[in-house]
Amino acid sequence: MMRPRWRKVLADLTGNPVRTLLVVLSIAVGLMAVGMIIILHHGIGEDMHQGYAAVNPANIQIRVPAVERDYIDHLKKLNGVRDVEGVRVFELRIRALGNQYKPIKIKAYTSGDRSVINQVRLLEGRWPPKKNEIVLEANRLGDTRYRLGEEVEIKLPNGDLRYLKLVGIVNDQTIGADAGGAGFFLAPIQGYILEDTLSFLNQPEEANLLLVTVDGDANDLTYIREVADRILDDLDRNGIETFGTVTRRSIDHPNAVYVDAMTAILYLLGFLVIFLSGFLIINTLSALLNQQLVQIGVMKTFGATRLQLIAIYLTLVVIFSLLGLIVSIPLANLVAYFEFNALAPKLNYISRGLRFVPQSVLIQAVIAMIVPQMAALIPVVRGTRLPIQQALSGISGSQEQQLSRFSVWLTRIRGLSRPAAISLRNTFRQRVRLALTLVTLALGGAIFIGTFNMRASLENYIARLARYHIADVNLSFTEPYRIDELSRVILGVPGVKAVEGWATALAQTVQPDGRSGETVLVQGPPDDTVLVEPIMIKGRWLLPGDYRAVVLSEVFLEHYPGLKPGDRLRLKIAGKEQDWTIVGFYRFAGKNIGLTAFTRYESLAEATHTYNRSADFRVVAEQNAMSLQDQEALAERLEQTLADKGYKVQEARAGKSLKQRTTSGLDTLTNFLLFLAMLMAIVGSIGLTGTMSLNVLERTREIGVMRTIGASNRDIMRIVITEGVLIGLISWVISVVAALPVSQALSRAIGEAIFGGAFPLEYVLTGPLIWFGVILVFSTVASILPARNAARLTIREILAYE
Amino acid sequence: MFRNTEMSASLQDRSEPRGEPVIRVKDVRKAYPTAGGLFYALKGVSFEVKRGEFLAITGKSGAGKTTLVNMVTGTDQLTAGEVWVGAVSVHQLDEDRRARWRGENVGVIYQSFHLMPMLTLLENVMLPMDFCGLFHPRESRERAYELLKQVELADHAYKLPSEISGGQQQRVAIARALANDPMIIVADEPTGRLDTVTAGVIFEIFRKLAEQGKTILMVTHDRQMARRVDRLLTLHDGVLVDGNQPA
Repeated sequence: MMRPRWRKVLADLTGNPVRTLLVVLSIAVGLMAVGMIIILHHGIGEDMHQGYAAVNPANIQIRVPAVERDYIDHLKKLNGVRDVEGVRVFELRIRALGNQYKPIKIKAYTSGDRSVINQVRLLEGRWPPKKNEIVLEANRLGDTRYRLGEEVEIKLPNGDLRYLKLVGIVNDQTIGADAGGAGFFLAPIQGYILEDTLSFLNQPEEANLLLVTVDGDANDLTYIREVADRILDDLDRNGIETFGTVTRRSIDHPNAVYVDAMTAILYLLGFLVIFLSGFLIINTLSALLNQQLVQIGVMKTFGATRLQLIAIYLTLVVIFSLLGLIVSIPLANLVAYFEFNALAPKLNYISRGLRFVPQSVLIQAVIAMIVPQMAALIPVVRGTRLPIQQALSGISGSQEQQLSRFSVWLTRIRGLSRPAAISLRNTFRQRVRLALTLVTLALGGAIFIGTFNMRASLENYIARLARYHIADVNLSFTEPYRIDELSRVILGVPGVKAVEGWATALAQTVQPDGRSGETVLVQGPPDDTVLVEPIMIKGRWLLPGDYRAVVLSEVFLEHYPGLKPGDRLRLKIAGKEQDWTIVGFYRFAGKNIGLTAFTRYESLAEATHTYNRSADFRVVAEQNAMSLQDQEALAERLEQTLADKGYKVQEARAGKSLKQRTTSGLDTLTNFLLFLAMLMAIVGSIGLTGTMSLNVLERTREIGVMRTIGASNRDIMRIVITEGVLIGLISWVISVVAALPVSQALSRAIGEAIFGGAFPLEYVLTGPLIWFGVILVFSTVASILPARNAARLTIREILAYE
Repeated sequence: MFRNTEMSASLQDRSEPRGEPVIRVKDVRKAYPTAGGLFYALKGVSFEVKRGEFLAITGKSGAGKTTLVNMVTGTDQLTAGEVWVGAVSVHQLDEDRRARWRGENVGVIYQSFHLMPMLTLLENVMLPMDFCGLFHPRESRERAYELLKQVELADHAYKLPSEISGGQQQRVAIARALANDPMIIVADEPTGRLDTVTAGVIFEIFRKLAEQGKTILMVTHDRQMARRVDRLLTLHDGVLVDGNQPA
């Protein structure tokens, strides 16, 4: 037979199911958050690493003008090279939704059967395509409306249309592998063909991209770079120019940077949820012990020592924790399962679905056995320490009817109805409980508001990209045209206000030993440009008369920490190495984008031998603050006019499309943060329900008195709900203030993780306003149950109340 | 399982001959801090109680009756003086030792019964045995059942306190007080919440216990009942006005 003391534990557990549910839920929510984050971190990391490694990704990608197949076979014999594939990569345009043409990046393989590097995964249809057939990548398929078997319309630079049959849909995890962090999100629609289709698209057959895997440790970046240098030397010796080299380990999925950033923040927030649920446990256990003071006194009277009493209540907490654990383990798995599937397409990895992550269960179990017990220790030790007589009187120190100065001050507020006055004064009676509830609610609110601030700051930060791309339409051509001639044509299109011809080139840094380093996108606007509003970090912007001067993006400072204005940078442009003088550094989008630089048009045109000509025109519309749709419409008009006049348009892109794409990538992160903030709000609401239930319970006698002097059910409910909403509103005020440091901490952490530096914080009203609505609803809902309980109390129950 | 703890030393008192003083209260004072300064609930009370004696403490409300028995049971700390029960100086024990000593040697009965609402009557009676460990769990169950039989509630052993009447609850509280076979029973207004007939039944139980050799201290302001005990102590404003008055 179970000993009476353990029978009491069991009875305490089952005697008040609502209380048990509240405690178990508050423990479970915290555990679930941490458990889910561990599963996601572990699972997504594993899926990304293993899934990416499984496609045999290129460790080295080298862009060249053109190489013969024989030379590729020669490269395979180089030391450290396991395999080399040459593909032709080029951009054309595809008929997208409506009549719009969007850029499509097409990769042409020698033969699909032989393709072993950067393998794609067939989702629908077949692979490889045959002659005059195409396979599209699934991620941006939504931008088009093509279905299997349909003819895909491709527009060539000369305006000719070509139709390729869509025979397959694939997933390509290597999208963005040749660019910086946001490569995947900025990538256009991807298409795959075989080389025998190249001539149909007016493309040369030589490969212009070398994909190389290394023979040896494919996860050692130093080794990979050594092999890359060997290949670059060989290319150099053979007189083959290179436009850019990217090295990457076989496990480095292009979007891993987002996952790393996300998990760092999520772990922090997950443990914060645990911390908050600890507060709830303190609150609930304090109340439980307050209710059981008489029982504690009686047990002490009959010989119970403090240790025995502590053991009784801690056993109760252990059972609460175990129940919480039983709820949290499957819940964490369930939520993680949905997240796995939701995040997979957004982050371009293949989810292998739910799996058992022992670390998640283990850490949940450890937290469940430590945190609630530690939190409970405070009220348990306090409750069992009370002298018997005080315990038997049922009044703990904190419950004594001593009003604080604040409570006395509250009595001076005039003009309130009696029930409102009761609600107001009741709110501040249990000050410690109120403080714990407020902390829980306010912290949840601060993170919720902080998430909105961070989201706005991220968008603002990304908007910086636009400061360097102010144009409404960016036109690129397959060959350079005379600036004055083309400008006249463009200005003739209705709605165009101004046009600038820019010089653009891909350069490579030259290392001290003469080897080619990283690729730099160099842009040369005219001296009188109105389309760049730089944010300078060091030095100055370009001035008319500067000769071979460059301003560099902040990423240079990270890659070359010693660099400063006045230094010289050796760049290889159009096959020629030249020294350029650094005059300043500007803030761009951090490591999200690769190395970029600006110079004067004249300097770059000289380096690329394109004097007075340009293949890159920036157009400003007459209409101010154009929407993305308006910009797209103007782009279409421009393209049509120019194509009609025989100009070979490569692309006509709306200025705002870049911002839109980058923002959508970061939405994944902010949505996740909002999810966790909502979890905190739920924890806070559970806390508020607990607090209100306990307040009602402790005031049973008062409620009885109010009923006997005529208070109706409605009056009692109104008093309780008003108190709950008042607590919610106070927490809202605190959370608005607390959101300032919380937003800063979030922005710093995410800025460091994604952009390699903090970004300036933006405070927006959206967060506080939405949170105001959320807290009103939550606090009302949280008070309804206790209020109903209070209203339901019968006079008999009230009289029987001890 | 019989646990012979040091605190069960006073169990030796059980073998003391009837008539020997088992409780000695010497010049006990108890002060409570109030806004107006210290308030003395007891102002130097001294008396002795012999083994097997049935003693009533009476007085007006606020006279210090409950405070005085709390000093004897050790449920409250005295401000000055000494309380000896057998060979144990109760006032010198720390809280945990006092709890264990009380559990083994004193049975306490309250006016409000104070039964554990979530435990059955049988479990309520077993609870003190569970804490003190003087009996093996199986033995404690049998003993609890026996005690319930003595108070004529064996048939209700598996009921919860809320399922029985106030008088029955008080009988369960008496059975619980007897659980560890204490030498002393302290009852604070045990019939205060009961009707006259039920109060009479409860009083008879105490009378029988006294006859069996238990020393009984009963706080009451029922003068009728107070007259039926061996001896009556009357308190007035914290002072014993008559400590040797036979009932």
